[in-house]
Amino acid sequence: MYEESLSRRQTQWGFGGYVSLPGVAAGFAIRASARPEIAKGANFVRVLPPAGNFYSAAMLGKVCDIADRYAYGLLHLHSTGGNIEILGIPTEQLLEVVSALNAQGLDVGSTGDAYRNTVECVGPARCDAALIDTLGIRDAWFRRFLDDVQFPRFPHKLKVKISGCPNDCTRAVQKSCIALIGVFRDAPKINGEQLAVWVGEGGDIAHVASMCPPRAMEWDGGRLTIDAEACTHCMYCINKCPAIRPGDDRGVAVLVGSKLRGKYGPLLGRVLVPFVPLTPPAYTELFDLLHRIDEVFDEHARRKERLGDFLFRIGIDEFSRLVGVEPSPHQMAEPRSNVFFHWAAGGPVGGEKEV
Amino acid sequence: MPGIGVPPVEANLPPIVRRNYGKWVSHAVPRPGVLKHVSESGEACFTVRVGMPSNARVSTALARRICDLATRFSEGYLRMTRRHSLELVGVDPARIEELIEELRALGLPVGGADRSFHNVVCCTGWIHCQFAATDAPAIAKAISDALWEGFQQEGYPAKLKVSVAACVNQCGEGSTADIGVIGIHRDLPRVNDEEVAKCEIPLILFICPTGAIKPKPPKSVQVDPKRCIHCVACVGQCVGMPIGSPETDGVAIYVGGKAGNQGGGPAFGKLVIPYLPNRPPRWPEVVQAVRRIVDLWVREARRDERIGDWISRIGWERFFQKTGLPFSEKHLDGYVLWPMSARTGVRFHW
Repeated sequence: MYEESLSRRQTQWGFGGYVSLPGVAAGFAIRASARPEIAKGANFVRVLPPAGNFYSAAMLGKVCDIADRYAYGLLHLHSTGGNIEILGIPTEQLLEVVSALNAQGLDVGSTGDAYRNTVECVGPARCDAALIDTLGIRDAWFRRFLDDVQFPRFPHKLKVKISGCPNDCTRAVQKSCIALIGVFRDAPKINGEQLAVWVGEGGDIAHVASMCPPRAMEWDGGRLTIDAEACTHCMYCINKCPAIRPGDDRGVAVLVGSKLRGKYGPLLGRVLVPFVPLTPPAYTELFDLLHRIDEVFDEHARRKERLGDFLFRIGIDEFSRLVGVEPSPHQMAEPRSNVFFHWAAGGPVGGEKEV
Repeated sequence: MPGIGVPPVEANLPPIVRRNYGKWVSHAVPRPGVLKHVSESGEACFTVRVGMPSNARVSTALARRICDLATRFSEGYLRMTRRHSLELVGVDPARIEELIEELRALGLPVGGADRSFHNVVCCTGWIHCQFAATDAPAIAKAISDALWEGFQQEGYPAKLKVSVAACVNQCGEGSTADIGVIGIHRDLPRVNDEEVAKCEIPLILFICPTGAIKPKPPKSVQVDPKRCIHCVACVGQCVGMPIGSPETDGVAIYVGGKAGNQGGGPAFGKLVIPYLPNRPPRWPEVVQAVRRIVDLWVREARRDERIGDWISRIGWERFFQKTGLPFSEKHLDGYVLWPMSARTGVRFHW
């Protein structure tokens, strides 16, 4: 099929989509063939991966066994949504594959109009920049939202990505309906002794200071200072210099509405709540907020409308009100310049705005 | 059946990670593709980062060989990154050379860390997708081959990420990367009345972002060519509206996307080349265009300047002038969000 595609300069696959089978509402995609004489359709199953996409060789070996036994022996490690996909399973064996995966401690899901699999960065497992426990948050998220990953019920898909710091290695701000990005509020910490060692070894701190986006750093050739009021906590100096470390007042910023297509095309995430404190192991405050977001989406969005398009239609003011978020200057790059308000929406003038 | 959830976090973490979870204090890149993380206990963790085949599409035979290497070199654990790289975490520094040799024997290159060309993210393309206007994996391979030296050494001003998406659905996230190649259709969906009659027509009408689809009695639809923006929203909803033709499909190139908050902050890529034809198997025009942009960036950018930040500094007018890429009407946005990219001030770079 692939060779045919390359020689004919066109895909040879036909219509496809996500299907639910009895007992398994999410996890399967079917795809028809436009060239049945070469290959009949090829279905695939989406497997929810372990946290941080870490695998023991033993577990990956078991996935290989299943792919060999039931399918072409071709794996997708991973899709950009962070799932393993096992390609080429005959329709009548789909349910059997799920049982086989379950026996190895793996589950399926993340298709259709459901919460999709989270994507999380490596976080505290192997990163010195991680501000939050991305793997722990992801684990707790699955404990709370697993049903919504496996039973599609929303107007459209909802994606959650968890980045441990503003470096945003998971591209949460570009690709996820709900982006959780680790942030810190106090100033970066400078270790003077370590800095002297680093500079002695050839570290170019003058260059780092000159490239600081808000120009918050000053290096006089012997002493480094950071203007805490100017600092935007972007992580640049922390990435470049081991003697500068993030502060300790850490939490998570919640951004909403990013996506790459939908009605209005690519949209970046917008800040809904700039700082949510983290309360392991259940992360109740954070996940209650997420649940309020998905309820508002479920209740008010139109069918096949991504969260970003829904937001675009109703406005960040209305969305914040519906979700129950206290307005904050951190939500906006700048306040509005237009003079048209929904004064009647829940305000003193009275009357509810029609959504 | 569903309901068992995901495996416990600890079950798949390498022992060195379990010992030092949340305790890492610094990192370095001692050689291209090898990361060194140091814990507050003083323990150092060496990670070998490996480029995977396009689309991270691997046979179980290769996956088993990788597992075997993980068993022998990294205590039986491995990790896949967000950019489809393989990471062997916790390798004995004395055996890194040996591991790199063994990986090379499997055809897997080590590299793609820090100031280098990172592994290309791409979608499945013609391997297995109905929407694909182009073949993302083949383009990813061709670009990777062309920038091969950049993958293996650290000579770039900053990191370079390239993504290839085979259609505007962007599973291959072309808009997000420093350089994004995005497959585009230019023909209209071909309406098959008989098949469309089986579909949910109100949904097809609603999902069209520009209202280009109108009902055609008794039970079909028609597409207005002036309004259609070839977004394939309808194609995904109805079996009776396939799109794509070898003569008109091709790719567009977007430049300057990034997610990190350094420099100018997160941004999507901007259009630089609206259309290049599909020329399998190596897409020479696409590779040449990518090379041209990368070469200029390497020559002109300051240290730590990603492509988007470099262009912000020199200005888009100068970017087009320096690359020699033609500017056309297609670069002007005609969709609802056009005021966001149109210029208001008169502070030009002449």
